[in-house]
Amino acid sequence: MGPSVAKPNDFIPLFIDCISAASSRTQEYLLFKDPEDKLHPSFELFTHVFLMTYISQSVSLNLTDTFNCTAMTPGQRILLGADWVWALMEKPSRNPRLQIAVQVLHLQEKEDTEENTALPDICSETMQMAQQESSNKNMYEKLVDFCTSIGKDCYALFLFFGKKNDKGNIYGVLSNNFEVAIGKCNKIDRGFIENFFKGSRYLHTPSGMMQALVTKKEQDPITLMIKFS
Amino acid sequence: MAATQDMKGKGEGGDQNFDYMFKLLIIGNSSVGKTSFLFRYADDAFTSAFVSTVGIDFKVKTVYKNDKRIKLQIWDTAGQERYRTITTAYYRGAMGFILMYDITNEESFGAVQDWSTQIKTYSWDNAQVVLAGNKCDMEEERVVSVDSGRLLAEQLGFEFFETSAKDNINVKQTFERLVDLICDKMSESLDTDPAVTTGAPTAKLTDSAPPLQQPGCNC
Ligand SMILES: Nc1nc2c(ncn2[C@@H]2O[C@H](COP(=O)(O)OP(=O)(O)O)[C@@H](O)[C@H]2O)c(=O)[nH]1
Ligand SMILES: [Mg+2]
Repeated sequence: MGPSVAKPNDFIPLFIDCISAASSRTQEYLLFKDPEDKLHPSFELFTHVFLMTYISQSVSLNLTDTFNCTAMTPGQRILLGADWVWALMEKPSRNPRLQIAVQVLHLQEKEDTEENTALPDICSETMQMAQQESSNKNMYEKLVDFCTSIGKDCYALFLFFGKKNDKGNIYGVLSNNFEVAIGKCNKIDRGFIENFFKGSRYLHTPSGMMQALVTKKEQDPITLMIKFS
Repeated sequence: MAATQDMKGKGEGGDQNFDYMFKLLIIGNSSVGKTSFLFRYADDAFTSAFVSTVGIDFKVKTVYKNDKRIKLQIWDTAGQERYRTITTAYYRGAMGFILMYDITNEESFGAVQDWSTQIKTYSWDNAQVVLAGNKCDMEEERVVSVDSGRLLAEQLGFEFFETSAKDNINVKQTFERLVDLICDKMSESLDTDPAVTTGAPTAKLTDSAPPLQQPGCNC
């Protein structure tokens, strides 16, 4: 184990460091325009760039024992709807004190007709099986279901790599209370999540988000909009 | 078992063909070696790094028995309490369980009884169970004797192996035994006990002493 962090919230500046590194690197790629229009990077590439930068930074800052980041396997991505899961670890037990399950949403020029836009390629046999095994809910609902099954200390974070009028920035909607919405409108889709940004809602910084999570009372519901870049 | 009929060869393309599909679950306390055990079996690999499993994951492996292709869908579960809701949701369709403890960890052995109760609560009556005492390569740190492992297995009506994912000891054997047990149970219930196929209450295999071992297996 690396040098342990003195106070429980000392990990936040380190986390912010990793987030800024990952966001700005990802931004470079999001804004890249090939003058010859020959390069068409896949959505997955952006997710990987973000994760790779985040992970290498958090390893070099020795953050991983306190605040760890687990990338999901392709099967888990389909079953649980998460691309990765962040966890604030309780020191002796190594049990998560809070978790953030993240699903990346990419800017879609033309809206896909299908609901499952965030789905990884269903090519391999394993992926097909995962698809068969998982409920017929869409990826957004799967993530919410997963977080709800764990409890109020598990937050779903939908991370937008670019928004319609702002292609180069990274935004997020985080909540431990999306399931209430499922009850109300019986379906969570992309429009529902994007709706959170409409109107003049306050945008948190990543640091503000983390402060809010570590200081809030355990069972309290919380919903935040965040600008990551 | 009711599940076997509709699992018969529903694959379409070449590699998807199989005669049967068995759903297996690996359960037990966190860090006893469930993920490593599955890695060893499916990919013949081992890593000493501990990455705590988030929720649930699975791997697929095909085995052959009496000229039939059996596709094993092996579910790896997270042992921590916070994932209980999501993991127990997968108990329902499972035909076999590997219940694992760590021979160097008394607490994980003490929890076997609870895990066994979880199986009884959430799975079918006919699900087969093998108890595995993992990390048997760590003889020096052993705190659970082979005998107490065997005794507990007997009391619970489970088969028993001591295993090592690290040194590849009894890994394949554990899975093969579980597949045999499932096959035995299938042929037995199809031949003699129509109640089993309809899911009606029937004597639990785990209630009788050693599980029946019929040589014939219709799968
Ligand atoms: N010596 C030894 N270590 C093992 C064995 N199996 C797993 N481990 C180690 O035990 C730790 C936990 O293993 P893991 O498979 O992640 O446990 P899980 O939480 O039950 O999935 C890891 O550091 C593994 O390398 C084994 O058979 N022998
Ligand atoms: Mg594991």
